[in-house]
Amino acid sequence: MTAISADGHMPAPVRRWSRYKHPRSTIRFAVLIAVLAFLSWSIAFLNIDLYRIIGAFPRLWEILATRYFPPDIDYVLDDSFLHSVLRTIEMSLLGGFFGVVLAIPLAWMAARNITISRRIAYPLGRFAIMGSRSIHETIWTILFVTVLGFGMLAGTLALTVFCVGFAGKLFADELEAIDMGPVEALRSVGASNLQVFQYAVLPQIRVAFTGIAIYTWDVAFRAATVVGFFGGGGMGWYLKRTTQQLENTRVAAILLTIIVLVLLAELASGWLRHRIAKMR
Amino acid sequence: MRHERNFAEGREENGLPAERERPVPVLEVRNLKVSYSASGPQILKGIDFAVDGDDFCAVIGPSGAGKSTLIRCVNRLVEASDGDIILFGQDVRKLNGGELRRMRRRIGMIFQEFNLVNRMSVMDNVLSGRLGYTGAFRSLFKVFPREDIERALELLERVGLQDHVDKRADELSGGQRQRVGIARALMQKPEILLLDEPTSALDPKISRDVMRLIKELAREFRVPVLCNIHDVQLALETCNRIIGLQDGYKKFDGPAEGMRKQDLDEIYAMEVL
Amino acid sequence: MVAAVGLQGAPYLSYVERKRRRRVNNWVIAACIAVVLGWCIWDTVMVDTDWARMGGALGIIGTLERFFWIDWGLVPSLIVPALETMMMATLGTLLGCVFSLPVAWFGAYNVTPNRYIFYPLGRFLMVLSRSIHEIIWALLFVGAVGLGALPGILAVAMRSVGFISKITAEAIENIDPKPVEAIRAVGGNQFQVMYYGILPQILPVVIGTIIFEWDINIRRSAIMGLVGAGGLGLVFFRQMAMFNYGGVTLVVLAVLVLIAIGEVISHYARKAVI
Repeated sequence: MTAISADGHMPAPVRRWSRYKHPRSTIRFAVLIAVLAFLSWSIAFLNIDLYRIIGAFPRLWEILATRYFPPDIDYVLDDSFLHSVLRTIEMSLLGGFFGVVLAIPLAWMAARNITISRRIAYPLGRFAIMGSRSIHETIWTILFVTVLGFGMLAGTLALTVFCVGFAGKLFADELEAIDMGPVEALRSVGASNLQVFQYAVLPQIRVAFTGIAIYTWDVAFRAATVVGFFGGGGMGWYLKRTTQQLENTRVAAILLTIIVLVLLAELASGWLRHRIAKMR
Repeated sequence: MRHERNFAEGREENGLPAERERPVPVLEVRNLKVSYSASGPQILKGIDFAVDGDDFCAVIGPSGAGKSTLIRCVNRLVEASDGDIILFGQDVRKLNGGELRRMRRRIGMIFQEFNLVNRMSVMDNVLSGRLGYTGAFRSLFKVFPREDIERALELLERVGLQDHVDKRADELSGGQRQRVGIARALMQKPEILLLDEPTSALDPKISRDVMRLIKELAREFRVPVLCNIHDVQLALETCNRIIGLQDGYKKFDGPAEGMRKQDLDEIYAMEVL
Repeated sequence: MVAAVGLQGAPYLSYVERKRRRRVNNWVIAACIAVVLGWCIWDTVMVDTDWARMGGALGIIGTLERFFWIDWGLVPSLIVPALETMMMATLGTLLGCVFSLPVAWFGAYNVTPNRYIFYPLGRFLMVLSRSIHEIIWALLFVGAVGLGALPGILAVAMRSVGFISKITAEAIENIDPKPVEAIRAVGGNQFQVMYYGILPQILPVVIGTIIFEWDINIRRSAIMGLVGAGGLGLVFFRQMAMFNYGGVTLVVLAVLVLIAIGEVISHYARKAVI
């Protein structure tokens, strides 16, 4: 072993070290290059002008400032519009409620640790939740509108399916993280599946589930503002009509209303969730 | 030797007459006072001491006496509220951002909880000791000069970690992590070493090994050490000078051999009560 | 004996009393929810739905049946739009990450450049990005930059900023300050402190979030075509307009396949990072 002399001078044997470690670094570089190649190919394939990205924001600002300003506030204070706001809220409540109610058994099936049967129920629950999550809520809206006709029934059902996917995933994650001790204890005294769920699982997750349910409503409300755009009823329908008729100041007013309402919903749900978290 | 050159610079800057017979201390602290908030209690209530070029100086005292605060004032991880800290002839408290960074890279520091970046490799942690000397481009791409890499390997071998160079820091045991911390501090080619409770997160046997290693390396590189330590026995074994703090005041300052039972009793009076 | 019963009796009674009150409370809450829901159902579903036009159960089954005759002949013409959707999602996520950098920096309380101006600004941008639905973002950008993939990418990017930057800012706020102190003690500058002290600590969380967001962005970009931004959504829109419901089902299946591919890729990416 050679010591470093006091003045920092390094004696002869040169030690070798390189940040580049053959198999790992090579794979990493290959993946990096592949990703970069895909990105640049995408830019070329989609024919994207990078200058337009930078230009988009000044342009957006300009359009907002000239065409959309001033927002036609009177339009959103109109009775029929206010009724549509109320109906949007109702739709989100219904969708959120039924979505959460349906999501609980599905999440129970789709939680690996406490599912009724790993062969049948688990893949079934997983598939139901993944399926309703994978399809965007607007596509659900269009499908339901096609089958059931325009109106809030279609919007409500689309929101329900959306909430099943959204809440189901969160519920299942929460269920998979529970403490298995009580579950095993109850199983060992011979409790049925339902009894295990009620006495060992439910007490552990009640607070978390309530929080998730409120959050789901918050997200459902956000989605409810646009389902009307595709015929699902509520204020989205007004957005569609004014956009198509190029009544830009009215569009601006509706957009402002949506932003304000969503912020209020988020504040309300945040406050409620905070209170519920404290009850734990 | 590096220190003497620095003292000479310091002397010129301060316009002090060159004294041949008595060496100017590396670090001189005068009337140091610290309180964390303007209205809050004072942690240090006027401390004076000096550290010479060949000192291995331990600060001991009960918990809450201000040991850690004292050490951290030297490189301004904690801001002092009053007093002078003269390091290498410059007043640390008067330095601006860039000057402070240049000062800090001459000060090696070893921490209680090792303060390694857990997700980086041992090598990168050691190399990060050179960051003060590394430009923006090199640090962005983590390309360190060859000499730095060679020195890092030397030091890792010196602290006995040659087989762990490419492991992640959180894969090591406590003692090994502190050795990485030592190697990182020595990477800086420090002109003074500050140790902030370097052993209190380690078990007694490893504590002794680590202190012995630090002492050996400090002597080899001729670096003065200012160290704060909870374990009095370990301080008396390793250090040649002891500063005893109690409740923000200095109660003892002298060679380790000169420390008597009653001095210790006085320093730890609060804990006895 | 009597005394003992008395001693046990009092808490027992109060326990019954508490239980009864809680039960009453629960019933009141349940009744409120039932009334609200009932009214919602009446007002939205019963009043608003045009039951006559729906054409009864047979009519619905008739429409549904048309969805099941999947138009497999459409498969070759779906490959390019599917690729476009994937590219839109990837570029949108990347752009979203770029936009998230300053927002997360501003919105993390411990590193924000200014706690009175930039911190609220960062927080506001996070909320704004999340509260506007991607369809609305897309409408705005179609107005600003015209039709094509670009407004879709921008919309996806803007929608992703909120989530990515929120999680990143929280990760920055929760870092261990000790390594940061060490980098400062060796004389590192502000950039080095961030790059060596903060970044390695938040990297796994941030990359996990980006992968998660990319996954979500695939389903978002699949609908961008509905408002004029290309990809699978455009095919969906066209098939819908032609009343070719078999083709519609096929597009939905294509979206599911894309999501499944994305799920597999993100599973491996996550494993490689963490």
